[in-house]
Amino acid sequence: MSLLIGAVTIGFILSLLALGVFLSFRIFAFPDITAEGSFTLGAAVTATLLVNGYGPLAATVAGFAAGMMAGSLTGTLHTRFGINGLLAGILVMTALYSVNLHIMGKSNIPLLSNATFATVAESMGLKALGEQVSILGWDVSARDASVFLFVAAAIVLVGAVLYVFFRTNLGTAMRATGDNDQMIRALGVNHGAMITIGLALSNGLIALAGALLAQYQGFADVQMGIGMVVWGLASVIIGEALVGTRQLGFAITGAVMGSILFRLLVAIALRWGLNPNDLKLITAVFVFLALILPGLLARLRPNKATRPAAEAGAAHA
Amino acid sequence: MLETRRISKTFNPGTPNEVRSLESIDLAIDDGSFVVVIGTNGSGKSTLLNAVAGVFFLDSGSIHLEGRDVTRWPEYRRARFIGRVFQNPFSGTSPNLSIEENLALAARRGRRRGLGWALGHQLRSEMRDVVRRLNMGLEDRLDNAIGSLSGGQRQALTLLMATWLKPRLLLLDEHTAALDPKSADQVIRLSEEVIARDRLTTLMVTHSMHQAAGLGDRLIMMHRGRVIHDFHGAEKRRLRPEDLLARFEDVRRADQLDESAAEMLARVYV
Repeated sequence: MSLLIGAVTIGFILSLLALGVFLSFRIFAFPDITAEGSFTLGAAVTATLLVNGYGPLAATVAGFAAGMMAGSLTGTLHTRFGINGLLAGILVMTALYSVNLHIMGKSNIPLLSNATFATVAESMGLKALGEQVSILGWDVSARDASVFLFVAAAIVLVGAVLYVFFRTNLGTAMRATGDNDQMIRALGVNHGAMITIGLALSNGLIALAGALLAQYQGFADVQMGIGMVVWGLASVIIGEALVGTRQLGFAITGAVMGSILFRLLVAIALRWGLNPNDLKLITAVFVFLALILPGLLARLRPNKATRPAAEAGAAHA
Repeated sequence: MLETRRISKTFNPGTPNEVRSLESIDLAIDDGSFVVVIGTNGSGKSTLLNAVAGVFFLDSGSIHLEGRDVTRWPEYRRARFIGRVFQNPFSGTSPNLSIEENLALAARRGRRRGLGWALGHQLRSEMRDVVRRLNMGLEDRLDNAIGSLSGGQRQALTLLMATWLKPRLLLLDEHTAALDPKSADQVIRLSEEVIARDRLTTLMVTHSMHQAAGLGDRLIMMHRGRVIHDFHGAEKRRLRPEDLLARFEDVRRADQLDESAAEMLARVYV
């Protein structure tokens, strides 16, 4: 049970990553690799501030803000200097590796003796709930339960704020920018500014995920961002399969649900003896399959009508 | 109202694909006039509209809107004064957004977009009334994604969006060319209505000689990046589609003469 709660908690934390990836990849159709650097950046800034005696709230907000700066840098490289979006992200991500090392001063910062959002939530939970809580008949330690509740509440709040934001004038213009940039310029929107603000928001969320994960697991590591874009994409794809993409609210909920399901799958696979070293390989293969399967299925379908024999052969192969 | 002073634009200069799209075009368009632009393929009609809209910057010359020099203004900044409808019915709307969200974007064309609700109560009921007048049954489907509509419906909505806030200048770029005849008629009728009702200064490119003869109070004919004919007032009103076709024939013959003359000169001297 403790394992399950842990997996769902990490799933909630990383749903911020999924929301960030959803924002750049799906809303702006912008393959933003900056995420790998900004995820670590959020963790690095927050961990460094915590170690230097700042409170968890201030440190986490600072991590979020640092991520926004990284994202707006990528946006500026792309929109002002006309650098290809993928390359702009790679440039910032690469630069961030050095920046992160400088911020941290070493490659790993342990947070075991510092107050973090997790310790704050635990002490609040212990006061309110006592040592053990019963969830659906299971006894769960109040520490795990209170951290879980805290994280879930935070993510629901962030999701609701995002949903509201995307229904404002500014947010609607942003969604339209990714949809049809010719139209949005003709309606007087500076689409470069929209992309820059959108990437700032996206990377802010991703850095926030890094900041919370570092506090939850009790350390920040300069390598922790590697593979994060693909993890986020996997969550987004799972979410789209779960609830569809037609409506904004569904898409946001889907990204969160996808992230949780993805972490659960990972936890189960590891439990069954999957080598943790293979995790990123398997995730990449999963995303690859999820990307090509819809196209493959669509190509097979018309064959079914015209050439049933060939279709049967293909199905066997 | 709109003035272009010796504007020129060459695409791909210095390459085999060099195209001189605009060659020193001088044009002054009065407030409230409805100008129809026709011309051969590649004559620069659409380029002229795009130059005014700010899709690209000029090689030389200047563009003035209501006395302001907007030559260096980016596209999105000029949009404050300009409403546009494109040839491709998919270009003017955002497919994954609903009809009402698209209209809400248009209702703030060129204005600040802050953190206020995009869809207010009042705006919604206003939309229902205006969309009902299209007679397309869309007023009860305002929350549907625009991508689910036909080209004709999308083009009618694009026209509505371009004119939601009365533009100082309306640019119509062959906006019925990609539609079936019935939808084209409908969109043209809507265009006429709104232009007459709001007395919009309009620049409309068309391929249809029927439209060119029947609409507008001024007609400009372009060829190879230049304005070769400019009909005003009574002269414009007398024009029939056959007259315009005859002008095109003249242009074609002149072109052939150019080519055969060049060929002859080459034979004699080279």
